[in-house]
Amino acid sequence: MSDLDRAIAQLRACRLIPESQVRELCYKARELLIEEGNVVCVDAPVTICGDIHGQFHDLMELFRVGGDVPDTNYLFMGDFVDRGFYSLESFLLLLCLKVRYPDRITLIRGNHESRQITTVYGFYDECIRKYGSANVWRYCCEVFDYLALGALVLGASSELEPSGPSMNDNTQTTMPLDDAELETEILNSKGEVTGSTYRPRQRTLSDSSTDTRNISPPRDISATPGQTPLRTGAPGTGASGSGGGSYSSRTGSVLCVHGGLSPLIDTVDKIRLIDRKQEVPHEGAMCDLLWSDPDEIDGWGLSPRGAGFLFGGDIVKQFNYRNDLSLIARAHQLVMEGYKEMFDGGIVTVWSAPNYCYRCGNVASILELGEDTSNGGTVTRSNGDYGRSNGIISTDKPGVRSPGRRYRVFEAAAQDTRGMPAKKPVADYFL
Amino acid sequence: MALEVQPPSDRKRVKVYELRDNDWFDRGTGFCTGQILDDEPRIFVESEDEPERVLLETKISKDDGYQKQQETLIVWTEPNGTDMALSFQEAEGCAVIWHFVSSVQQHLMNVAAADDAFSDDLESYQSIMLPAAELGNLHEIDHVMRAASMTQAGRDALSKFVIREEYIPKLIPLVTVAEDLESLSDLHRLCNIMKSLILLNDNTIIETVVTDPIILGVVGALEYDPEFPTHKANHRQYLADQTRYKEVVPIKDALIRRKIQYTWRLQYLKDVVLARILDDPTFSVLNSLIFFNQVEIVNHIQSNGPFLKELFTVFDPRNADAKRKEDAVQFLHQCASIAKNLQAPARATLFANFISHGLFAVIAFAIKHPNPAMRTTGIDILVALLDHDPIMMRGYMLKAVNERKTPLTDTLIDLLHLESDLGVKNQLADAVKVLLDPQIPLQDAMGRAGPEHYSKPRPNILSDAFVQNHFDESTKRLFKPLKRLENRASLHDLTFQEVALHVHLVDILTFFVRQHLYRTRNVIHNDGLAPRVAQLLKVPQKHLKLTALKFFRTLISLQDTFYQALMTHNNTFGLILDIVYETMPRDNLLNSACLELFEFIKRENIKPIVLHVVEKYGEKLKNITYVSTFQDLIIRYEQMQGYGTEADSTLYSQEEGTSARRMPSGRWPGVGEMDAAEEEYFNTSDDEEEWQQDNRVNETMATPTQNGAASPIVKPLVDYPDDDEDDDAMDVKPEGNDGKEQQQTPQQEGLLDQDTTPEKTAEAPSTPVSSTAQAPPERLSEKRRREEEDDDELVKLSSGPKRRSSTSSSPGNAGLLRKKKSLSIGPLSAADKGATQGVLGTVTGSAPPKRIAINLGSPKSPSETDSLSPAANTISSEKENRGEKHDNESG
Repeated sequence: MSDLDRAIAQLRACRLIPESQVRELCYKARELLIEEGNVVCVDAPVTICGDIHGQFHDLMELFRVGGDVPDTNYLFMGDFVDRGFYSLESFLLLLCLKVRYPDRITLIRGNHESRQITTVYGFYDECIRKYGSANVWRYCCEVFDYLALGALVLGASSELEPSGPSMNDNTQTTMPLDDAELETEILNSKGEVTGSTYRPRQRTLSDSSTDTRNISPPRDISATPGQTPLRTGAPGTGASGSGGGSYSSRTGSVLCVHGGLSPLIDTVDKIRLIDRKQEVPHEGAMCDLLWSDPDEIDGWGLSPRGAGFLFGGDIVKQFNYRNDLSLIARAHQLVMEGYKEMFDGGIVTVWSAPNYCYRCGNVASILELGEDTSNGGTVTRSNGDYGRSNGIISTDKPGVRSPGRRYRVFEAAAQDTRGMPAKKPVADYFL
Repeated sequence: MALEVQPPSDRKRVKVYELRDNDWFDRGTGFCTGQILDDEPRIFVESEDEPERVLLETKISKDDGYQKQQETLIVWTEPNGTDMALSFQEAEGCAVIWHFVSSVQQHLMNVAAADDAFSDDLESYQSIMLPAAELGNLHEIDHVMRAASMTQAGRDALSKFVIREEYIPKLIPLVTVAEDLESLSDLHRLCNIMKSLILLNDNTIIETVVTDPIILGVVGALEYDPEFPTHKANHRQYLADQTRYKEVVPIKDALIRRKIQYTWRLQYLKDVVLARILDDPTFSVLNSLIFFNQVEIVNHIQSNGPFLKELFTVFDPRNADAKRKEDAVQFLHQCASIAKNLQAPARATLFANFISHGLFAVIAFAIKHPNPAMRTTGIDILVALLDHDPIMMRGYMLKAVNERKTPLTDTLIDLLHLESDLGVKNQLADAVKVLLDPQIPLQDAMGRAGPEHYSKPRPNILSDAFVQNHFDESTKRLFKPLKRLENRASLHDLTFQEVALHVHLVDILTFFVRQHLYRTRNVIHNDGLAPRVAQLLKVPQKHLKLTALKFFRTLISLQDTFYQALMTHNNTFGLILDIVYETMPRDNLLNSACLELFEFIKRENIKPIVLHVVEKYGEKLKNITYVSTFQDLIIRYEQMQGYGTEADSTLYSQEEGTSARRMPSGRWPGVGEMDAAEEEYFNTSDDEEEWQQDNRVNETMATPTQNGAASPIVKPLVDYPDDDEDDDAMDVKPEGNDGKEQQQTPQQEGLLDQDTTPEKTAEAPSTPVSSTAQAPPERLSEKRRREEEDDDELVKLSSGPKRRSSTSSSPGNAGLLRKKKSLSIGPLSAADKGATQGVLGTVTGSAPPKRIAINLGSPKSPSETDSLSPAANTISSEKENRGEKHDNESG
C-alpha cells in the first residue's frame, strides 16, 4: 500500500505524519494486534531489541547495525516511548513497519506503554506539543492496550556461525574448533568481533552454564561430565557435533518479556489466561511481567520500583527448566555495556538506547539469534503451543541447550546525522 | 550582643505557606512584621481574619537559607526542617521584610565571623574573580568558571561575583563581536560560559537571563553548541518573533505583561535550549520560577473584573469576529491548563470566576464549532473543570435541569451520537462518563454549584428521586442507539462510526455498572440493554466484541444475583462460548479474554453460573480440551452436586472476589434484604418474557435507591489535599491486606481450597510455581513499604539521567529541591492518594479506570520527572557517576 510506504519514508526522515493518518494507522495496528496471543510465537532467526525510549536517531542507528526491516526480523521488547524527544516518530515508525511487515517485526509491551506512565515521563507532553491535542496520545494508548505481553522465540540455533574474517587469533589458538562451538559473540557497530565465548562441543547435556560467562578460554573440559548429576539423559550418546535432531541437543525456546517473571506465573501457558486489553495494572501477573527485575537474591524480593518483584537465580532456573526455556531475554534496566547476562546465562538484559536520555554515556546492544537448520528447518515445538502435553515433568527430562547469541553493540548515532535533540517549542502563546 | 537592625515599622499583607507532604499548604493570609523580641529577631504573621491568631512566628538565624524569589516571595527552611514560604501581596512589602532578614543575617554573620577567626568560609567567598569580559579572556573565563563550579562554595562565590559585577550584560556584546569576526571557537566558549552560568542554578542569575536586553544575547551564544559543531540553532529567531504572543484582550498591567513574556522565555529555555543539559537543581529552579510567575499571572487575570468582562464579551452573539472568538477559546484553554498546576483553592477561585462570567457558554460555543480542533479544545476545558471538581460540575448540571434549561449532558450526549471525529468522540465519552457518574454524592454537588445555592438549599432539588430521574433520563437518551439494535436484523453492516459509538456506549455502561450497580440496574433493566450488548458479541468487529465481552466480565465480577440472572437468561454464555469456538485453538486476544472470564468463574466458584453453564452448555464445554479450564468447570459442577450446600460458600482466594463483595456492603447498607427478595423472585420465575414484563423488580429497587443516596460513603474522583482520606485508608488497611495475603501465600490458598474442594488443590490456578519455590513476599509488608518509600523508588525511577555537575548540598538548594516536588500540587496529591487507595485493594475490582490508572511509580507531574532526587544533593562530582546510574536507571 503506497500510502503506508509513504508514511514510512516520511517517518524515517523523522517527519511526522498527519493526525488522520495516525488514526488510520492505529486502527489497522489494532486489527492486527488483536489477533496476536499474549505470548507471540516467533521463529528464529530474529534480532531482539530492548528499550528505545524515543531516541529516534539511535533507532535508525540500530537498523543500520542490525539490518533494515524487511531483511532482518525484529522483536522489540517495549518501552518505545518517553524520555527521548522523538517518542512519536519512533513509535509511529515501528507501528508502520509492523502494519507493513507484520511477520517481520514483533512489538511487545513495556511498562512505559501505559497511560499513567506516559503522562509523567514525556510522551503525553510530546503529543500535545506536536499535534496540539491529546488525540494522538489517545490513539497510541489504545494501541498499547493491544500489544502482546511477551514472545517466545522458537527454533533458535544452539551454535553460531563465526562471523568470519575478523576472528580473534588469540581465541582461535587457545580453543581448537574441533572441541568447542561458538556460543556467544560480541560485535561492534562496524561488524568486528570484539569477544566470543565457546562451550565444549556436545560433551555434556548441561546448558553449559559456566561457559557462557566471558571471553576467557574454557575451563578444564574433563571436569564437565561430572557436573551434570541431575541430568540422567544418556550423556555422550550424541557423538556428532550438531546433534542432527537428536532430542537431547535441542535448543530450548527463548522467552522475551519486558520486565521479568511473576510469582503468579509458573508456566508460560498461564500468561495466556490474562485478559491483556487494559491499562497496565499496578499489581498482578500482567504488571509483574512488565515491571520485575532479576537480582542477586534467593527467591522473590520486593522491588524498589513499587511495582513488580525482584527475582533470583533459583527462580529463573526453575522457570526455565519447567518451561523448556533456555533463556529469558528482557529489557527494562539500563546496562552500561548494552547487555548483561545473569544466572549462568539463564537470563539476559538487552538495552537498546545508547547514551540514554542523551547523557548517560552507555552503549546499546541488540541480540541476534540464528536459525537452527540442523533439522531441515523444522522447529521442535515446545512451550506455548496448544496440544502440548500439559506440563508433566519427568525427572529424566533432558537438558536444553542455550541458543548461540550474537550481540551487536553500538553507540549513539553520530552527531552529524541529526540535529540537536530538543523538544518542539510551542507555536503561540497567550500567557 | 545587641542588634542594631531596625525592624520594619508597618505590616505587610502576606500568605504563609508550609511544605507538608510535598504540598504547599496554605496556612492562611495575614500581616507580616519583623520584630526584635528579647534581642532575638523574629518574623511574625498575624491572621487577617482573627487578629489574635499567629500564623507564623519564627526566629531568624544565620543559616536558615533564606531566599528571595521573584519580587514577592521569601523561602526558607525552619530549623526543624520544614520548608516555609511567604508570598507577599506587594513587591514593596517583600523588599522591606527581605531587607530586614538580610541585614539580620549579615549582622549574625559578622558576629559569627568574629567568634570564629579560623572560619575560612568567608575567605573563599571573596576569592573568585573573573577576568574582564573580553574576547581574549574567554578561554580563561571558561576555565575559571569550570573550576569554580566544582564546589558549592565556588559556585556560591561565582554567583555572587556575577551578580555583583553585573557580569552577564558585559558578556552579551561579545556574542555579536564574535559573530562578526566569524570566530567559531570564541562562540563555542561563549556557549560554554552561558551554560555554566545557567547551571550555577541561581535564581537571580536566571531571572536576569530572561530580561529584555539580555535574553537574545544569551540564547545567541547558546546557538553555538560545541557538542554540535556543524549545527547552529535559531533560538533568537524564535524568541525575537513578537507575533507569537497573542493578545485577545490587552493586559494593561505592564508588570504582568512582562511576566508573561519571561515565563514564555523560561519555558523555551527549559524545553528547547537547555533540554539536554539541564541538571536536577536547575530544572527545579526553572520550574519554580515558572510556577510562581503563573500563579501571579492567573491571580491577576481572575481578579481583573474589567478584563474578564471584556474577554467574555467576545463571545457575544452580536460579535462577528470569528477568529477572535477562537483565540479567546485558546486563551481560556491555556488558563485552564496552567490552572491544573495550581493549588486547589486558587484553581477553584479561577474557575468560579470564569464560570460566573459565562464559561459554560464558551464551552458550548466551542464544542459545537465546525472545526474539530476547536471542539477538542472546548472539551479539554470542560475536562479540566471535571478533573478539578466533578461534583461542582454535576451541581451546575442539575441546576440547569431544575431550571428547565437544556443541561450540558444532553448537549454532550447528542454530540457524542453525531460526532464524526474519533478523537473528539473519545473525549465526549469521557466527559459524559464523569458528568453522569452515579457514584458522586449529590448533596455535595448542589452545595458546590455556587454560594447562593449553598446558603438557601432547596430540598426538592436535593431529593434523590430527582437525581435518579435525571440519571434515568440522561442514560435513556445516551443509550438510545444501543437500544435501537434490537430491531436490526443483521449486525454485519454496522458502519465505522456506529462501531466506534457502540464501543463508547458499552464502555460507559460498563463504567456505570461498576460504579454503581444498583442505580444502573434500573437502566439496564428498563431499556433491556443486556440483550443488546449480547448482540454485540456477534459482530464481526473484534474490538467491539471484546468491549461487549468486558461488559459481561464486569457483571460477573460484581457477583450480584440480578446481573447473574441477566446473563443466565440471555444465552450470553452460549454466545461467549461461540467466541471461544471461533477463536480456538488460536492464541489471540479475544480467546485469552474468554479464557480469563471462565477462569474467573472457576476460581471464584460462582455457583449459579457454574450450574447454569454446565447444565446448559455441557456438551460445548466438553469439546474444548486445549486448555483445562472448561473441564475444570465440569468437575466443579460435579463436586457441587456431590457436596451439596458445602460448596455454597464462595472461595475468597482472589482479591477481586473479596473486594467486589466487600464494596457493596461498605457502601450500601441494606443490600442483603434486596438480594434475598430478588433471589426469590428469580427463583420463582424462570421465564424470560415474564421476567421482562414484570416490574416487581422495579419496586424492590426503588426503596434502597432512595435510601441509599442519602448516606453512601463515597470516594470522590478527585481527592483534595485537605481531606482525611489517608487516615481512613489506614483504618481499613488490615482488612484489605487479609485478602491479599491469602492470595499471595500458596499454602494458605491451598488450605482454603481444601476446605471446599478437597480434590482440587492441585489445580488452584494461581498457586505460584511449585512447593519448592519460595513464596513471594507478602503484600502486606510490601505495600506498607511502598507507601513509605514512595520517594525513594521514584528517585530510582526518575532521577538518574539528569544528575550531573551540581553540588547542591546547601540548605537553600536542598529546600528548593524539595519544594519543587510540590509544585504540581493538585494532580500530584490526587495521584498519591490514588496510590493509597489502590494499595488497599478495596477498589481493585470496582474502581473506575480513571482511578486504576494512577498508582505505578507514583506519577509526578511531567515537568518534574527528573527533579525529585535527593540524591542530587550528595553527588558532588561533575562527571556522571556511572556506578550509581547503573543501579538506579530504569527503563
